[in-house]
Amino acid sequence: MSDFWDRYGRSVSICHRLPPVLKLALAVSVIVTGVAIPVRYWPAYGVLGCLVFAGHSIAGIPLGYLIKRLLIFLPFVSSMAISLPLSQGLDRGWDLMLQIMFRGCLAFLVSLWLVNVMPFEQLLVTLRKLKVPAVVVAILAFMYRYVFVVWDELDKMRTARKARSFSGGSLWFRWRTLSQMIGMLLIRSLNRAERIHGAMCSRGWDGEVRWLDDQD
Amino acid sequence: MHIQDGYLSTSVCLATGAVSLGAVGYSLHRMKDLLGERTVPLTGMMGSLIFAGQMVNFPIGLPVSGHLMGGVLAAAILGPWAGCVAVTLVLVAQWALFSDGGLLALGANVLHMAVLGSIGGYAVMTTVRKLLGGRFRGAVAGSVVAAWLAVLAASAMFCLEFRLSYAVSDFDFGNIFTLMVTLHALIGVGEAIITGFVVSVIYQQRPDLIDMAQPVDSTVASSASRFAAAGLVCALAVAAFAAPFASTLPDGLDSVAEQFRIAASAESTSGLFTNYDQIPIAGWQKLSVSVAGIGGSLAVFAAAVLIGRAIPMNAPVIATEATGE
Repeated sequence: MSDFWDRYGRSVSICHRLPPVLKLALAVSVIVTGVAIPVRYWPAYGVLGCLVFAGHSIAGIPLGYLIKRLLIFLPFVSSMAISLPLSQGLDRGWDLMLQIMFRGCLAFLVSLWLVNVMPFEQLLVTLRKLKVPAVVVAILAFMYRYVFVVWDELDKMRTARKARSFSGGSLWFRWRTLSQMIGMLLIRSLNRAERIHGAMCSRGWDGEVRWLDDQD
Repeated sequence: MHIQDGYLSTSVCLATGAVSLGAVGYSLHRMKDLLGERTVPLTGMMGSLIFAGQMVNFPIGLPVSGHLMGGVLAAAILGPWAGCVAVTLVLVAQWALFSDGGLLALGANVLHMAVLGSIGGYAVMTTVRKLLGGRFRGAVAGSVVAAWLAVLAASAMFCLEFRLSYAVSDFDFGNIFTLMVTLHALIGVGEAIITGFVVSVIYQQRPDLIDMAQPVDSTVASSASRFAAAGLVCALAVAAFAAPFASTLPDGLDSVAEQFRIAASAESTSGLFTNYDQIPIAGWQKLSVSVAGIGGSLAVFAAAVLIGRAIPMNAPVIATEATGE
């Protein structure tokens, strides 16, 4: 599960070796162009689409992988876009719906490319270089470090629940049980945060974030 | 739930991005007041928790299922400023890890879920808590009401942004508004129930966490600004229900939309149908919004009462497992 979205983040290609700031800038500019150009200039969309697929194939991301992720994404974008023709009794608004769906898919594929050529820790270093406040990068790094720990904890709780044959019951009861699970997870996580805080303090933490300047 | 790129025009994305940047910047500035040097571990852990908590699927009896959004929950534990930062960074990480939510639309997502959800939600929550007075009941009822209103306010905000992104004749604003608000009145009830349950569990186990984030004895100055923020969220939620009745609102927005509009959707500016009479489904519009509003309010009220009753205050404290690092 954990590598579902960034499976190719650690492979090697020309795209992976680009400077991180350039990757980010490329992705942002393609997304902005895609959203900003009018649909009348449809050849421009064709060019952008080819560019995105070229980027994916250079990065060595297989087509099947893209299609699988796109299939997960499509229901979200189409359920919103369908409300446009629906709002006018299904006789108009189809062109706008297609426009939104096309732009959405284009932007999604660009994001997916970026996720797959830029691992999260590289993004953190890039953000640091772009003068994002140190405390923001520190919280993001902390979050990324511990989200897998919390996931594991959640998995353990789910297993325990299954082992005690939790099933059925009224909807209200199930909601209550699942919410209590989240509540317990929250308390355990915050206890863990307090222990980590104690460990950090004993190593000289004073709330100030310090970074090595020469890290790359 | 997240807005993807392509829904909103570039100018709207930039405008919402600027507002969000300002709000998050101010939150960063204020965050350390409450948490001190515990800021990084606590905010980071809260972010991880919201991230993981969204993986828990709540069955709603249909093939689809709901999940927690967490803006109000984060504010209930960490206070408005750190809560806003935590939710913002969850959104950033969701984009960077899962491509979930657009990059350009990040500003709009942050505005809806972090700024309206945490800062606005906190204002509503503490106001309700103060009005009710009770510690446990007040905390639970406050979080339930705040979660529902925050979801509604976010949906109203999205409709406004969507309206400003496209030409007037491309769609029917009133109908979109109806669809969005009806849907989100329901989604909001789910969010309210989950948030209420989680807050009630936490209040039994660790009441200090919630009492620290929501000081009962706050000064007059802060309560005035809090009241204003709570009023804003309520006004947005009320606007969500009132808009289909006020037919002047879409017309009033036209001029604003014309100024913001870029050439993006210029191909269909021949305004053919602009009044509701020609739309076949216009009839159910007002009825559905009224039902959503009244039904949603009743459901949220019932949830607030039931959650307060379901778990008695003197429930045995379940020992939390102490695992070594």
